[in-house]
Amino acid sequence: MTLNRIIDRSLFSHGLRLIVLLIFFASLHGCAVLKTVQVKSYPTPSYPEEKLERNEFSFAKDEDVIGRLAFVRLEKGDTLPDIARHFSLGINAISAANPGVDVWVPEAGGRIMLPLSFILPDAVRKGIVINLASMRLFHFKGGGKLQAVSTYPVGVGTEERPSPMGQMYVARKMYRPTWHVPASIAEDHRKKGDPLPSQIPPGPLNPLGEYALYLSKPTYLMHGTNKPSSIGLRATNGCLRLYPENVKKLYEQTPIHTPVSIVNQPYLIGQRNGVVYMEVHAPMENLETDELGKIYAKLKNIEKKSARTLDWEKVKETLAEARGIPVPLSDIRQGSEKESAEDIEVTHPEKLYGRPEIPEMKMGAWYVLAANLRDEINAERLAAIINHQGPQIPARVLSKNDDSYRVIAGPFNNLGEAKDAIKRLKIDLEVGGVLIESVRD
Amino acid sequence: MKKSLLVISMMLVFAIALVGCATTGDLEKVQAQGQQTNAKADQAIKEAQDAKAAAEAATIKAADAATRAENAAKMSEERAKQAEERAKLAEEKAKKADAVFEKSMKK
Repeated sequence: MTLNRIIDRSLFSHGLRLIVLLIFFASLHGCAVLKTVQVKSYPTPSYPEEKLERNEFSFAKDEDVIGRLAFVRLEKGDTLPDIARHFSLGINAISAANPGVDVWVPEAGGRIMLPLSFILPDAVRKGIVINLASMRLFHFKGGGKLQAVSTYPVGVGTEERPSPMGQMYVARKMYRPTWHVPASIAEDHRKKGDPLPSQIPPGPLNPLGEYALYLSKPTYLMHGTNKPSSIGLRATNGCLRLYPENVKKLYEQTPIHTPVSIVNQPYLIGQRNGVVYMEVHAPMENLETDELGKIYAKLKNIEKKSARTLDWEKVKETLAEARGIPVPLSDIRQGSEKESAEDIEVTHPEKLYGRPEIPEMKMGAWYVLAANLRDEINAERLAAIINHQGPQIPARVLSKNDDSYRVIAGPFNNLGEAKDAIKRLKIDLEVGGVLIESVRD
Repeated sequence: MKKSLLVISMMLVFAIALVGCATTGDLEKVQAQGQQTNAKADQAIKEAQDAKAAAEAATIKAADAATRAENAAKMSEERAKQAEERAKLAEEKAKKADAVFEKSMKK
């Protein structure tokens, strides 16, 4: 009996040990699985996108870096110009910060950097300073120890018709301006087969948009646009274009005679909380040749004066990559700088501000077949480009059974609208559209 | 005497008969062994032939597999090349589209 008990107890205790061991191993396995899941899955973004500062910043007088970098995960149908506009960035900035990402058909789920950190240009921090290289405007306000700055992306002049540089001021302002077409632009349009009237009144066809600030340098303006996707491009005749929502604020906050300084600084050096940063933009062709030499000299001087060692390999890398974001060249210390240097992932906006809406297809409307393509990505890209024209031409992709994809522009209310779209597709995008007659019930 | 001679001769005959019996058994044994050896030889030859045939088949198979592998490598190389070309073409198309878009953004 005693022996039986011993045997039973020993069996029980062995069994118990076995169970305990099994549970232990199972828990270990569980931990490993959890770990794998944690590595593979992405953390849910906790930072609300609407709280992410895009335009208004304050900074200490002796500091040069503002804002912070953020990330957002793309959803199906997003385009970089839509993301850029929502976060008040130019297409140049978002493309440079995310090399290799398709502008029009980026992969859904991809993580995109929002380069909302900037090194202030090397200029007097008074009034408006525009850096052509970064295609960004800085409007300095106030003084004292803590200064405020509003910053907006801009579109600048082309290589043939560059934006002017130097000191000027805001000579006058105009709400709902009339565009008096300059002779050079009228000639360009005539050659393209798209003659323009001598003046275009306020409205959706006016390229100046709703607000204009005329500079003291004749014929140059800071103005809105009817082509918001051109912000961050070199597409103007020397004027400085802003998103409609940004030019409205600039117009309201800028008194006449505000000084305007236009510079071209692709290499920017700045400091924040004792950390040295460098921001590099792809240089424009009209840059002074020794600009790079000056930057190296400046960095060596900082290193000498501050007794801090700079990472010269990082300097080379930053210059080669030209991603347009501030890159730390010295150690990030503890405290507020560490905090501001941390990446944050913001929630995807429910609705992207200014994103072109595509009206539902309807019976009785007119359409234009813009293209019939074999490749779905190419079709999506063309539809997106057509949608982002200014004014918008709505377009969508319809797939056919034979694995081809039709890019259809429309709906148009009448034949005239459809014909106008065909003309614009031909002149602006070199796309030969085919009219699809309206179908009635 | 006669009796003894008879006994002796009978014993001799018996002995000879005994020897004769032993030789027949031996012969049978030898014959059986011969048959066994033949059977084993046949088996060995068959096995050798089979092995040779199997080796030949394996060689052919290996050669086939090597050819197939070579072809597959060539094909995958070709596919990679084609994919690369397609990617390059797609990139060029994207760049061209971007350039057209940029142009369309002018006033």
